[in-house]
Amino acid sequence: MSAEGAPETPGTPGISEAQQLALDFERQAVAVADRPAWEELRLRWAGRKQGVVRTLLGRMGAVPAAERKAYGAAVNTLKDRVEARLAELDAELLSRERDAARRQAAVDVTLPGRRPQLGGVHPITRVMDELQEIFSELGYSVAEGPEVEDDYHNFEALNFPADHPARDTQDTFFLKNGLLLRTHTSPVQIRTMLARKPPIRVICPGRVFRFDNDLRHSPMFHQVECLAVAEGITFGHLKGTLEAFLKRLFSPDTGVRLRPSFFPFTEPSAEVDITCQICGGKGCDTCSGTGWMEILGCGMVDPRVLTNCGIDPDRYSGFAFGLGVDRVAMNRYGFPNIRVFFENDERLLRQVRG
Amino acid sequence: MLFSRDWLSVYVDLPETPEAIARRLTFAGFSVEGMTERDGEPADTVFDVDVTTNRPDAMNHAGLARELSVLYGRALRLPVPAISESPEGSETAAAAATVEILDADGCSRFVGRVVRGVKVGDSPEWLKRRLESIGKRPINNVVDVTNFVLWELGQPLHAYDLAQLQGAKLLVRRAREGERLTTLDGVDRALDPEMLVIADAARPVGLAGVMGGADSEVTAATVDVFLEAAHFDRQAVRLTAKRLGLHTDASHRFERGADLEACRIATDQAAALLVELAGGRVLPGAIDVRGPERPARRGRLDLARLDVFAGATIPPADTHRWLAGLGFAPQALEEGVLAVTIPSWRYYDFEPRSGGEVFAQDLYEEVIRAFGFENVPAALPALPDPDGHPIAAVARRGKIRRHLAASGFVEAVDFAFIDPAADRAYPSLAPEAKALPLENPISKRASVMRRSLVPGLVESARFNQRRGASSVRLFEVATVFFDNPDATLPDQPEMVGLVCGGRVGNPWQHPSGSDLDLFDLKGGVESLAEEMGVRLLARPASGLPGLLAGSAAELYRPEHPTEIVGYLGRLEAEEGYPLYVAEISADALTPETIDLSIDPPSRFPGIDADLTLTHALDVPWAEIEAAIRDLAASVAPDLVSFELTVRYRGEGVPAGAVNTTIHFFYNSRQRSLTQDEVNGEQLALAAELERRFGFRG
Repeated sequence: MSAEGAPETPGTPGISEAQQLALDFERQAVAVADRPAWEELRLRWAGRKQGVVRTLLGRMGAVPAAERKAYGAAVNTLKDRVEARLAELDAELLSRERDAARRQAAVDVTLPGRRPQLGGVHPITRVMDELQEIFSELGYSVAEGPEVEDDYHNFEALNFPADHPARDTQDTFFLKNGLLLRTHTSPVQIRTMLARKPPIRVICPGRVFRFDNDLRHSPMFHQVECLAVAEGITFGHLKGTLEAFLKRLFSPDTGVRLRPSFFPFTEPSAEVDITCQICGGKGCDTCSGTGWMEILGCGMVDPRVLTNCGIDPDRYSGFAFGLGVDRVAMNRYGFPNIRVFFENDERLLRQVRG
Repeated sequence: MLFSRDWLSVYVDLPETPEAIARRLTFAGFSVEGMTERDGEPADTVFDVDVTTNRPDAMNHAGLARELSVLYGRALRLPVPAISESPEGSETAAAAATVEILDADGCSRFVGRVVRGVKVGDSPEWLKRRLESIGKRPINNVVDVTNFVLWELGQPLHAYDLAQLQGAKLLVRRAREGERLTTLDGVDRALDPEMLVIADAARPVGLAGVMGGADSEVTAATVDVFLEAAHFDRQAVRLTAKRLGLHTDASHRFERGADLEACRIATDQAAALLVELAGGRVLPGAIDVRGPERPARRGRLDLARLDVFAGATIPPADTHRWLAGLGFAPQALEEGVLAVTIPSWRYYDFEPRSGGEVFAQDLYEEVIRAFGFENVPAALPALPDPDGHPIAAVARRGKIRRHLAASGFVEAVDFAFIDPAADRAYPSLAPEAKALPLENPISKRASVMRRSLVPGLVESARFNQRRGASSVRLFEVATVFFDNPDATLPDQPEMVGLVCGGRVGNPWQHPSGSDLDLFDLKGGVESLAEEMGVRLLARPASGLPGLLAGSAAELYRPEHPTEIVGYLGRLEAEEGYPLYVAEISADALTPETIDLSIDPPSRFPGIDADLTLTHALDVPWAEIEAAIRDLAASVAPDLVSFELTVRYRGEGVPAGAVNTTIHFFYNSRQRSLTQDEVNGEQLALAAELERRFGFRG
């Protein structure tokens, strides 16, 4: 600060001196780089006791009268300049200080967020829920029934004659006293028809059991069956309902076809194929090159079943179908086989979304 | 079931490609599952057709050809047996052998023919080729002829060596106690009195409708043959076949229902072929023993109602043509109504309504199948109102699942049948109820219906632990099974099960770190109860199998303190980190009364206060909690809420004691409370708690 330090106190104040001081101030102001330097500059030039401007103003009386006006003007010019420049420097420093503070508080926004620990529902439940939603929009209620059933509701009322080969297609787990584990959710249809009068539109979701145990089959799996009984239900309605729901469940461009088949509880009966969801119908290993995959069984409710439930088949007709949920979920999520569903590996289950 | 295209062409012209034929069959209900080309002259294609159990009439070439003739609108050429009997006056069949049906329920017709002087030998090439094309091994000309006729007309036949039949007699009867039979497959079988057999004067010589006996089989030495074509009861055949674990071409057809009227033509056809291939002469007359006349089944088809049922317009002329081709002999009864007669080969598929005609829908099926499902336009039923029968349990289950999933638990699905040892190893909400055993389990490890969700959840948790999972949090919502001797079905209530354990998160995710313990589990249960609008309280429980004594509780609702609706606790057995389990009855999660009202908070600021109470370890929090609620009314009227914030044992706390820090919140609806007021209430409350619970060494 020596050479360009505090101005020498001049012997006789004058205009030229004020002008010289203005140049000194500019030179010093340019050199201000931080808050202490600014504070020093402010004290030296604008300090209320020792500041240069204050000192110059204090010497006004010593200035010859003739020069006083000009002197005063020069000092005032210097004063304005000092104040303006100090304010400007202050703003600059403030801005720099704020930047620095911001830099200090900055975080790495790419760090992982702290998430609430979410769980999830089982993939089979997800598909079941979706089916319920679709059918709810079509006006269907959900009906439920027991998993341990009797022969009447699981077979006889469904027109499986006692000791008929049709029963061989549904390998059954038996309990004592003629009880069994339901092999399909059709007994829920029977219970619904016995309990209610048409019109009836229900879906029957639930677990079912068959004596089957390999990579493609599990002794327990899940079905959603659908039943509509009313006056004037047609085979065309069965087709229309199948198409509506399968296109919703899969995709709008999914093809649907019916192949005549046989079930004791419906006639006519059909197996329903949809365009293979793996290859889109071009043919692949999954669909054995046919472009189609079998997805469900369906038909018009057999008049004997209606009769067994106290519904007049001359007045009412109905359709029913049943879909295996596990297979749909397997295809959707790419589960390697059905057994994996029941191992409950959290590493797998926690991935299931959507 | 295999069918040869060349063989089918004997009965109906089939100029189409095999692919086209397969497609046509498949979309008429005869699903072609495979096709094999066969070299030779002529080249052949073998179709593997899935013929459904209701269509035994199509389990032979003439029968399937009938379907094709209708589908293609072509003539059907059924075989006409070229039988020439020995001249009048010679020995008759009835003189050579006698037949008696002693069990009329088991057998409604028995046709026999006798062919004398055959020369048993190899079949000619054409016959071998026919049989080989459908995977049958040629044996000799006599046996091959019976097989050929079965696969041609569908009627099972059997050829006996007449010389081996004692008394030249065949009886249809039930087996007698202790009787045995060595069947054609060489197996010696014990028979039981429910089995239907064919016997000669001395002993059984065949299992009716299933398999013949070895003693009377046709051999190279056979000269005289007795040909049998009978009609056996479906259930009688099925019973024998099932008990003996035998399944044959014959039993397959009889179980499903053979054609009563095919017996005669089949024997004639077989006898004619036999003479052609093995020489000999057919004795005059056929033995034909049959039960009472069985009237044909009849029905009527209203064409307008058919269209309504199908949801399509089906040309009446087509309907007439298809039904005629299928053998239903349609007759115009009145305008738009056809009278039909069910052909004998479809008898069993047309069970009539009690004492009347067959169901019209049985006939609709025939017509719509021929019309083609693909030709019926799709439509949605025009039902204006929704079904409108919701079930509360469905909504409840969805809510439980969503809440637990949002709380960090993953839904598991476990088998409903478990190991009886596992079933006994854990608690159940109905410990006195018996577990229901399966009569035919897949294995011992899956042989009883579960009475609790916990065993399955523990197994799944262990599965995850063994695969190195640092934490486990699973839940399941499913049915359990309790034997109920007083009801027709067992009780099958729905339960909610939970299991958790291990360390969740990491120091970044949870700066405090979190080892799951009993109170994480209990918090899950409590928050679920809160979400469902019920209160569940816990009290110590003992004697819960598999749970660590002193870390187990039973759950109850304050409205019904004696009814236990759940339990929770720490598992006694450990692999790695400890596991905590809970099970709650889903019904207990349904509030008895629903109160949805809210309590608006005060507009005035409130005042907080804390208290650390040093008390003996065995003072339960539930007691302190109850005391605070109780005291608040008298000494701390402005107390709005309180909660436990810290439990501390260690330096500064005497042995046998614990520090419990409680946070209190005071507020008033009318005004701002002063610190002095709150201090007064809090001091009084603290003094009383201290007096009641304070540790005194």
